[in-house]
Amino acid sequence: MPIGGRKVPPRAVELESATVASPISGREVELPAMWNRMFEPRVLTETGPDGFEPISALPGGESLEWCYGCGKCVPVCPVDLVGEYGPRKLHRKVQTGIDLLTDDDLWLCTTCGNCLRVCPKEVDMIQIMPAVREAALTQGAPVPSELQDVFEKTFRYGNALGENARRRAQWTRGAGVPVRLLPSDPSPVDVLFYVEDYWSYHPRGQQAAQAFARVATALGVDFAILGHEEKTVGDSQRLAGEQGLFDSLVEDVTATLAKYEFARIVTPDPHAFNALVKEYPKRGHEFDVLHYTQLLSPLAGQITWARELNLRVTFHDPCYLGRHNGEYDAPRTLINAIPGVELVEMGRCRENGYCCGGGGGGMWLDGFAKNHAAERLSERRVREAAATGANVLVVCCPYEVSRFEDAAKSTGNDQLVVKDIIELIDEAMGLAT
Amino acid sequence: MSFDTVAVIGGGPAGLRAAHGVAEIGGKVLLLEQRDFLGGTPIAERYAGLTPHGEPARPQIEAMIAAVTAHQDVDVRTGTVMTAVDGEPGAFTLTLRGQEGEQRAECGAIIIATGFSHFDPGRETQMYGYYEFPDVITLSDLEGMLSDHQVVRPSNGQPPQRVCFIQCVGSRDRHIGNEYCSKVCCGVASKEAIEVRQLLPDSKVYIFYIDMRMYGYWENQIYWPAQEKHHVQYVKGIISEVLGKGDRLLVRGEDTTMGRPMELEMDLVVLSVGMEASPGTRQTAVMCGAAQNKYGFVDAVGSPLDTVSTSRDGVFACGAALGPADLEDSVSSGAAAAMKAFAFLRSRAAAAAG
Repeated sequence: MPIGGRKVPPRAVELESATVASPISGREVELPAMWNRMFEPRVLTETGPDGFEPISALPGGESLEWCYGCGKCVPVCPVDLVGEYGPRKLHRKVQTGIDLLTDDDLWLCTTCGNCLRVCPKEVDMIQIMPAVREAALTQGAPVPSELQDVFEKTFRYGNALGENARRRAQWTRGAGVPVRLLPSDPSPVDVLFYVEDYWSYHPRGQQAAQAFARVATALGVDFAILGHEEKTVGDSQRLAGEQGLFDSLVEDVTATLAKYEFARIVTPDPHAFNALVKEYPKRGHEFDVLHYTQLLSPLAGQITWARELNLRVTFHDPCYLGRHNGEYDAPRTLINAIPGVELVEMGRCRENGYCCGGGGGGMWLDGFAKNHAAERLSERRVREAAATGANVLVVCCPYEVSRFEDAAKSTGNDQLVVKDIIELIDEAMGLAT
Repeated sequence: MSFDTVAVIGGGPAGLRAAHGVAEIGGKVLLLEQRDFLGGTPIAERYAGLTPHGEPARPQIEAMIAAVTAHQDVDVRTGTVMTAVDGEPGAFTLTLRGQEGEQRAECGAIIIATGFSHFDPGRETQMYGYYEFPDVITLSDLEGMLSDHQVVRPSNGQPPQRVCFIQCVGSRDRHIGNEYCSKVCCGVASKEAIEVRQLLPDSKVYIFYIDMRMYGYWENQIYWPAQEKHHVQYVKGIISEVLGKGDRLLVRGEDTTMGRPMELEMDLVVLSVGMEASPGTRQTAVMCGAAQNKYGFVDAVGSPLDTVSTSRDGVFACGAALGPADLEDSVSSGAAAAMKAFAFLRSRAAAAAG
C-alpha cells in the first residue's frame, strides 16, 4: 500500500463546489473548488503503464500513450478554455491511474481535431475517443443518459431527434418550390440532396432546407431527396462510441442509395460529409460527395441578386468541414459573393476555428458537459463572434444554428443573429417567402 | 628539429579513432594507455549496448582495437602513463612510466584523449542513498548487469518489478559545481530502459526527468521507441529523495505536470550519473600546458569551428576530454584531431626543410 493510506485516483476535474465532511465533527460543509482541492489527498502514489494497456489494445487507441507532454494541445483545446479537460492532461491522468472507461473525461472531447493539428507526436483523439467510448459501451460502463437516449432514438427512428421517418420530408411543404422525392419519382437525378436530421426536423434547420430548395431551383440544379427513406449517416453517433449503430446505419443508408441513380451526393451536414468521404469508402462505398457550399460556390457568379443586405457578418468554420476536411474557402466564397455583406473574421478561424461543442456527440451532451465547464463552448464562441461587432453569425453546419441562438440569448448577445449562409443567399436573391 | 610521430594519450574510442586516423593518412603513432587493455570506458565499465543503436559494445570496440593494433605504424603501449612533457611543439619529449620502468619517447604532436569519469553519486546533494541502499545503482552499474543479461536487485538477487531512472545526477547543478548538461544520459538511460523492458517484459520502467535532451536522431532512435513501443513511463519531475520502505525504495518528488507531490515505490533505482573530467584528463592537460575550463575539461580554444585545437601549439584534444560527449562525438573529434595533428607535423617538416 502506498504511503499516506488508501489509493485515491487523482481528480483534476472538479465541480464548482463540493460537500466535504469534517473529519472531526462529521458535519458536512460546502466548499468552493479551490478549498475543496486542499482537502483531497494530494500526493500521487501511483503512476505507470497500466492505464494505457487496455486503451493501447484497442484499434485506434494506441497513440494516447505517445504524448510527451509538450502541452501544445491544451491551449487549443476548446474544452480546456472553459474547463479542466485537455489531451495532455488526459494522458497524464491515465498515467497516474484513472480508468478512462469510467471517467467523465471520456465524454468531454468534441473530436474537433484542433489538438491533432498541433500535436508533434500525432496523438490522435479522433481515433482514441470513439475507440475508448465503444469499449466503454460494450463493457457496460456508465454512459451519460442523454447520450444513451439519442443512441436509442437513432436506433429506433433513424434520426437523433427521435422523429417519425414519415415526417422527414415535411419541410418541403413550406419551401415554395417543388422538391422531388425519389421514392415517388425514382428517375435518375444529378444531385441527391442528403438533408440529414437537423435540416429535416429542427424548425430552424427546416428554414435553411427550404432556402436551399429555392436557391438550388433558381440556379437550375437538378436535385431530389430520399424523403422518408433517408436515415442519418451516423457520424456523430460513431464518434460518440456507437460503432455498431454506425455500421448498421451504413448498411441501411447504402442499401437505400443503391436503389437510385444519381451523380453526386450533396449534404448540408459536415458530419455526414465527413463520414461519406472518409468512413463509407473504408467499407467499400464510394460516392462523389459535396458539402452544399461546395456545390454552390462555383455557381456564385451566375446568381442573380435581388438586393443588398447591408450586414456585417462573421463566419464560424464547422470543424468537420474545415479542419477535418480542409474546406475553408467554399463558404467564404459564397459569403463574399452576397451583395452588401462585409465579412469580419474572428480570431479563431479556419484551421484554428473554435468548436461549437456539438461534434463527437457533444450535440447531445450539453447537460452532462455543464457540470465540467464554466460555460458552453457555444457561449464562448458567441462572445467571440459578438466581439467582432458583427450583426450576424453565419454558419453552415446544421448543428450550429440552434446551439448559437441559445448561446446568444444566454450570454446576453440578443443583437447577434445566427443564420446559415443559405438563408442569406436566399434573402439576397429575393426568394425568401 | 621536428619529430614525425603523433602521441595519442588514451586508448578509448576517441583515442583509438585518432590513432587509427593518423596511421591511415601515413603518420606514425605512439598510443599510450594507462590501463592494461585498450577500449576505454565502454570496456572498463562493461557497457552492454552502444548508444544509440544498441549493438553489443564489446565486439564493436574490439574491432576498433584490432584495426589499431594491426597497423604497423602504431606503437601501442598499455599499462603506461605519461609523467612529464618536455620540449616544444614539433619536438616534444615524453617521460613514460610502464612495466619496463621509466622511458622516454619523442613526438611532434600530442592528442589528448583521456576521457571522462562518471560522477560519483556520493557527492550528490540530494539524498539518493547510493552508498546506503544496495538497490540504488548507476547507469554504468546497470550496463554491467545488462552485459550479463541478468538485471536483479542487488539486495536480494531477484528481478525488479519496478525500475526507475533519475536523470541529471551530478549535472546541471550549481551546488555540485557542474552547471553543464552531460549530454548523453537521457539517451543512455532511455536505451537502458528499453533493454530492461526487453529483458524483463513484466517490469515497469520509469524515467524521471527535468527535461529530456534527446538531441538529433536520438529523439526518434531512442526516445520515441522507448515510449511508444517499449512503454517506458516518462514523468516530468525529478526525484528529490530516496527512502527505504520495507524492502523496497520510496522515491519522492514532484509530478510537475500535475502540480502534485508523488511518492512511488521502486525495486531498483538507477542514477543517471553525468560526466566529469577524468583524473587523467586533468593531469595530462597540465603536463601538456593545455588550458582547461573551470570543470577540468580541456579547452577547445577555436570552438565552435575548430573543435580539437588547444591553447598550446601541437597539442590537440578529442572525445570526452573536451567535455561531455557521446560516442559519435568522440570518434568524430578523434578523426578531426588526427587530421589536425598530422597537418601540424607536415607544416613543421616543411618549415624545417626550408
